[in-house]
Amino acid sequence: MIADCEVIDFHGHVGRWDALDMADDPDRMLFAMDRAGIDRACLFNIFHPDGRRGHDLTAAFVTRHPDRFIGFAYASPLWPDDPVPELERAIDELGFRAIKIYPPYTPYNLDNPVWDPIYRFADTRGLALISHTGSEATCPPRLFANVAARFPNAHFVIGHSGNIEPHRSEAIAVARAHRNVYLETCSTFRAPGVIEKLVAGAGAARVLFGSDIPLMDPRPQLGKILTADIGHDDKRQILGNNARRLLHL
Amino acid sequence: MPSLDFHPTVPVFDANIGVGHRHDRVAPFAGPAELSAQMKAQGVDRALVYHVQGETISAIDGNNALLAWIGDHDGFTPQWMANPNQACLAQLQTLRQEGRLSSVRLHSTTDSHLSFSDWIYGDLLDWLADADIPLWVSLADTPADQIAATLGQYPQLRTVLVGAHYMHAMAVRPLLRRLPNAHIELSRYEKLGGVEELRDEFGAERLLYGSYYPRYAMGPILYYLHTADFSTDELAAVCAGNIERILLKAIA
Repeated sequence: MIADCEVIDFHGHVGRWDALDMADDPDRMLFAMDRAGIDRACLFNIFHPDGRRGHDLTAAFVTRHPDRFIGFAYASPLWPDDPVPELERAIDELGFRAIKIYPPYTPYNLDNPVWDPIYRFADTRGLALISHTGSEATCPPRLFANVAARFPNAHFVIGHSGNIEPHRSEAIAVARAHRNVYLETCSTFRAPGVIEKLVAGAGAARVLFGSDIPLMDPRPQLGKILTADIGHDDKRQILGNNARRLLHL
Repeated sequence: MPSLDFHPTVPVFDANIGVGHRHDRVAPFAGPAELSAQMKAQGVDRALVYHVQGETISAIDGNNALLAWIGDHDGFTPQWMANPNQACLAQLQTLRQEGRLSSVRLHSTTDSHLSFSDWIYGDLLDWLADADIPLWVSLADTPADQIAATLGQYPQLRTVLVGAHYMHAMAVRPLLRRLPNAHIELSRYEKLGGVEELRDEFGAERLLYGSYYPRYAMGPILYYLHTADFSTDELAAVCAGNIERILLKAIA
């Protein structure tokens, strides 16, 4: 829908968040994606700590428009059981392509060993794993430095690229130090020059477009990439090529 | 069809740009020439500018600094900061008498630890309403419930609510219903389908493009507006026509 460029949104949600008037209405999401020029969006449901219910809701949502939506698993150390069987179901049976974690919904820093079974699963399968990051105590991006080297076959995606400084610079530093770390762009903090800084710091091959749809309309988030002072080849990598490679599409 | 390059297709007047240094934040651009270059690169023709020193420390100092900052550069319309200090009101009244005032922006009541209440801000609001001067108020800097309660007592006062965020998603439409003379600037309003939703209920004439630069980049919201389900006339109004009308009425 953007000429000569496939656009894959790496960060989206399934579920409702009523206090923010957020709802996963597929018609509204597809309307905004069509207007923006987004071909496909990756979606996950982070609102159900048992794993199975969120996965079933994500699968049901994606199944309605499999050409436009890609399902991701959600995993948490709050799950009462071994996470591997449910992750195997999500990837092997439901067809999900990657894993999302959300440390602020847990008491555990993202480098706490309680996360290791989830990281080990991603490492064994060579999967991408995206985490929320930012100023919250559980998930400053610098903690990925303690994880990325231990699971070299997993591809760690720093959601929001830390959101704000100094966490954004931490995210870039981790990506520079570890070849299996990537930077995802969605953020309500749309400071000038952010995309240029990510590309200059880590290289366009390590930056992924995301929007946070339907929490946020994807159009301003896509506009961030299109109005950045970077070249067309860099934009193509960020908007779709990198995601297609990571997700084996 | 969108392309990898985006440029606005209508004239653009940015309703929300802060200039200068703040006590806790250094400006990312040195002066008017650098800001003009950034505006040109993003396809922004003109801007309403206020001095960020007036957000927290001193509206009076900020306004004096704005005069020096703009100098004789074209493309910028000054916006003057206001707080409840009587000396500030006197400064604004002088600027009005000199024909240099077309809008006023409320300082950050939150950072100033003041409630935005009529018993504190009444003199300022009475004067603005009587003189038909539009007031910009930031939802990033003043709580929505105080805006609703206080501005609800001044229904004739024309206002522009800036900085509404998705965190305000449940408050924006009730605010616009309660304040029929309020407009909304869209720099941070990223609710899914939000601009079309506001247009459908309130009309495009109550929507304004603003960037909140340098807190936020100029281009992303312009892309949003250009990919919104707007007619060409609606897009032109939101990007420039509405703010021109608001400011001209104050001068007239």
